[in-house]
Amino acid sequence: MHVMLAITIFVCMFIPLSILSEFLFIEPFVIFHVIEDRIVSFALIAFISLMSAIVIPMNIYRIRTLQKSMTKISGSVLGSIIGASAGICSCGPIGFSIISTFGTVAGTATAFLTNYEMPLRLASLGLLCLVYYTTAKSISIECKTR
Amino acid sequence: MNKKVIVSITFVVLVIVVAVSFSSYQANLLEMHDKTKYLEKIAAKTASPLINLESGSPPLGSDAAPITIVEFGDYQCEACYHWFHTTRTTLIDNYIETGKAKLVFVDLPFLGRHSPIAAEASYCAEDQGKYWEYHTMLYTFQDGPPDSGWANLDRLNSFAFSLDMNMDEFNECMDSSKYKKRVKANYDESVKNNARSTPTFMIISQDGMTEKFSGSQPYSVFAASIESML
Repeated sequence: MHVMLAITIFVCMFIPLSILSEFLFIEPFVIFHVIEDRIVSFALIAFISLMSAIVIPMNIYRIRTLQKSMTKISGSVLGSIIGASAGICSCGPIGFSIISTFGTVAGTATAFLTNYEMPLRLASLGLLCLVYYTTAKSISIECKTR
Repeated sequence: MNKKVIVSITFVVLVIVVAVSFSSYQANLLEMHDKTKYLEKIAAKTASPLINLESGSPPLGSDAAPITIVEFGDYQCEACYHWFHTTRTTLIDNYIETGKAKLVFVDLPFLGRHSPIAAEASYCAEDQGKYWEYHTMLYTFQDGPPDSGWANLDRLNSFAFSLDMNMDEFNECMDSSKYKKRVKANYDESVKNNARSTPTFMIISQDGMTEKFSGSQPYSVFAASIESML
């Protein structure tokens, strides 16, 4: 069940993020297009999706099996959300809707997410790695104890 | 609610989302491989574009070209910058310079307060016969996020100066906001045609068939679309 959940999380994060960051296009037909100077951004999306797919099921296992608190899972969800929202193209339909509805303030907010794409995604990846480390350590200690 | 129930519901929802996405992806893949189906799909698209290009840019390429490529764009848009520096060059070489297609730029300036001013400046450059040179200048020197200053009035003046334009004429045009209404008309036309992001493209054939897609897509997408209409 946890493996299935991990695959589902990876797919559900990687595909929409690739579409929103304009790496994957579905119209007029499905095509992946990663230009040279955006390879790092694409790699970060892949890593964040992968780490979320590892860390979230691990925490669900920890909560269900070891009856632990939900602190760590909130850290991993937060990391995933930061990573997902960073760098979403402000030129895209989401940016257009937000800016058209909320005006200049929204423009500044979306510009912030676009401009600080790399640091935000790296921070998110760092947070996910930290949660992975502490969760793995906690699971191994708890299992040994039991 | 029981944690088990919450996890189960979440899992079921995720599985449904993935199943729907995957089936749509598969359907698109199958359709892409079946060229006949793809062409039928193009042909089925409604004819006679309602788009009004009067306020847009002067066409790049031959007026007699059978295909019109309309780009809805913003000078401060990073994706437009990427498209300009990747796909556009090949498209010009293979379709515009060969007389098969022409390109019209329609402004969709929404990213910041400098976007409409840059669009107005491009039309002031058109008054001196340098629209496309100025357009190229803007996409070459796009530097930094929207409204960071790279497209402020001083920079727009310096771009005009670099192109050996008559600065008195250019300044007068900018000061009078001569093209404010034209830029607004372009924005309205873009929204009317459901352009909700930049760049958005419309490929229009001579007999009125249209295909619309958005994003900084690769050359192969444009080539497939144009070839199916030629």
